[in-house]
Amino acid sequence: MIEIKNLHKSYKMGSNSLHVLKGINFSVEEGELVAIMGSSGSGKSTLLNILGMLDELDEGSYTLDGVPIKNLNETKAALYRNKFLGFIFQSFNLINYKSAVENVALPLYYQKVGRKERQEKALKYLEQVGLKEWATHLPSELSGGQKQRVAIARAMAAEPKVLLADEPTGALDSKTSYEVMDLIQKINDAGNTILVVTHEPDIADMCKRIVHLKDGVIVEDKKVEQVRAAQYV
Amino acid sequence: MFSRDNWQEIFHSIKNNKMRTFLTGFSVAWAIFLMVLMLASANGLVNGFDDQMGDSASNAITISSRRTSKAFGGFEAGRRIQFTNDDIEFIKQSFKGDFEYITPVFSKGATARYKRETGAYQINAVNAQMPLISEIEMQDGRFINQNDVIKNEKVVVIGAKIVTDLFKEENPIGKMLEIRGLPYKIIGTYGDNSGTGAENTIYAPITTFQRNYSNTSDINQIQLTYNPKFNLEEAINLSNKIAILLKRRYSISPDDQSALRVDNRAEAFSDIGQFKNVLFGITIVIGMLILISGIVGIGNIMVYIVKERTKEIGIRKALGAKPIDIIELVLLESVFITAISGVGGLLIASGIMGALGPLLDSPGFRDPSVNTNIMVIVTIILIVSGIVAGLLPSIKAARIKPIEALSSN
Repeated sequence: MIEIKNLHKSYKMGSNSLHVLKGINFSVEEGELVAIMGSSGSGKSTLLNILGMLDELDEGSYTLDGVPIKNLNETKAALYRNKFLGFIFQSFNLINYKSAVENVALPLYYQKVGRKERQEKALKYLEQVGLKEWATHLPSELSGGQKQRVAIARAMAAEPKVLLADEPTGALDSKTSYEVMDLIQKINDAGNTILVVTHEPDIADMCKRIVHLKDGVIVEDKKVEQVRAAQYV
Repeated sequence: MFSRDNWQEIFHSIKNNKMRTFLTGFSVAWAIFLMVLMLASANGLVNGFDDQMGDSASNAITISSRRTSKAFGGFEAGRRIQFTNDDIEFIKQSFKGDFEYITPVFSKGATARYKRETGAYQINAVNAQMPLISEIEMQDGRFINQNDVIKNEKVVVIGAKIVTDLFKEENPIGKMLEIRGLPYKIIGTYGDNSGTGAENTIYAPITTFQRNYSNTSDINQIQLTYNPKFNLEEAINLSNKIAILLKRRYSISPDDQSALRVDNRAEAFSDIGQFKNVLFGITIVIGMLILISGIVGIGNIMVYIVKERTKEIGIRKALGAKPIDIIELVLLESVFITAISGVGGLLIASGIMGALGPLLDSPGFRDPSVNTNIMVIVTIILIVSGIVAGLLPSIKAARIKPIEALSSN
C-alpha cells in the first residue's frame, strides 16, 4: 500500500539546514495497523506529513497504492489527499462553526458528492463511531473523546486507502484514549490500513507493528502481539 | 460556482461573524452612499442648469437679419436685409437632410384685448414645427398645426403670463382674443419655467398673420434644428454654410459681421456640455477615490479573515480542498458582502435623495436623482471591487500550506 525508498528530508533554518529524515526505507501492506514511535525531534511527524502529502520529500521515492507521489502541484495533491488519505489529528481540527455531521461531510463535499448522499454517508459514519445522536451538535458541545471520534468519522467518510493519525490520543485522558484506540482497532479489523504516530508505548502496543524512529532513521521495525483496547474500556 | 453548498458556506461564515461582516459591509455601503449622493447632487445641479438655460432644443439654429455694415456688390452700407418666405424654401432646397425642422418667424408687437383687459405682447407667427424647435411646453389645448397654417385659421396660442394678465381665473381655451381689431380663437396655452419673458408671446399661424399685415411675405427670423446625428463640428459647419449662402443670395460682403446673425445653440451647448462632463468627471473621480478606500477596507478585513481562518483553511486543504475551492470560498464571500452592502448603500442614498429632492428644489437645483444606468454601473463596479478586494487575500489563502496551518494553534 505504502512504499518508501531512501527518503530524505531537511529543513532550512536560516543558514543551517536541519536534516530530519536520513534515508528511510519503509513499506506498509494493506490492512496493517502501524505505530510510528520516537521521541520528539525523531522525525516521526515529518514522516507522517510526507506520507500525508502535506509536505514534500527532498530525495527518495514514495508510492501510494501504486501511484508515485512526486512533483505534485497543489491541485493534484488536494485530489490525492482527498482520494487516498484520511487524517486524524492530535487537536482534532474540527471546524468549530460546523456541526458534527457537517464536519464529517466536508471531505465528501470536496469530492463533489451530492448533498443528500453526503448527509446520509456522514450520518452512517457518525453512527459507526457511536455519535449519531450528536450529529447536529457543534464541536464546542462535545467532549474531547467525542471530538476525536467525529474526526475519525470524518477521516473515514471519504473512504480513503490509508488513515493517518498524528498523536490521536495526545490530548485525551487514558480512559478516553483507550476508547479511541478501541475504535481505531475496530476500523482496522474491518480491513483499513492505519498509521498511528505516537510516543506513548501503551498506545503503540495496541497496534500490530511498531516502527521506531530515532534521529531520522528507523532503528527498529517489529511486528507485535496486539493488545486489545477493549479490555480497558 | 453558485451552488447551494457555496451559499450555505457563505451564510454560515457570515452568521458566525456578524460584527466582522457588518464592519466590512459598512465601509463599502458608506463609500457607495457618498458616491450616489454626490452623483445625485451633480445631477440636480445640471438639471437646475438646464432649466436656467431655457427650453430651446439643443440643436437649434436661429438666423436673423440686420443692416449691412459694408458696401458690397454695388450696394451701399446700411442696407436693411429682409428675409421672405422664399428664403425658407431656399434653405429647404439647399440643405436637404441637414436640417430636421424649420419655421419662419414673423414677429410683430401688438395689443391684445379680451373683454376689458388689454396688453401689449409680441406676436410670433410661425408654422406647426415651432414647438419641435423651441420646445414650447403646452399646458392646455394644442399648438398650431399644419391645417391652421394651410387654411389661414385665425387661431392663437398664448403664454401663461398672458392668461394671468387677461383671463384671470377664466379658462381661455376657445375664447376669442382681439388683436389689431380682429378676433382670434385661443386654441392652446403654454408655460415656460425659465422666467425669460417668453410667456409674453402669442403664437399664430404664419400665413394668417402675413395676410393680416397686407399679405406680406416678410419674415424676421428663420429657426431650424439641424440633423440630430450631427456632431458639434458638422453643426457649426452647417451654420457657416447657411451664412455663406444667404450672404451670397443677398449680396452681402462675406466679411460683413453684422448683416446676418446666425445663432447656433450647439456652440453654447458644447460649453455647457463640457461643464457637465467636468462636473460628472470630478464626481466620479472623487467617488472612485472614496470607493477605493472602501475596497482597501474590505481587502484589509479579508486579509484578517484569511489569517483568522488559516487553520480552518489548512483543515479544508488536508481534507482535499483544491486551491481553487479556497479562492472561491474567500472570493465569493467578499463579493457577496460587497454587493449586498453596496446595494444597501445605493438604496439608502437613492431613498434619501428621493425624499429630500422635492425639498431642495430651487431654480439652480432640481430633481437630484440617479438614473438606472448609473445604478447598473455602480453595481458592476461593486462586484468588480469585491473581486479585487478578495483576490489577493484569497490567493494568499490558497497558498496556505496545510502543514503550517495545522501546526498553528
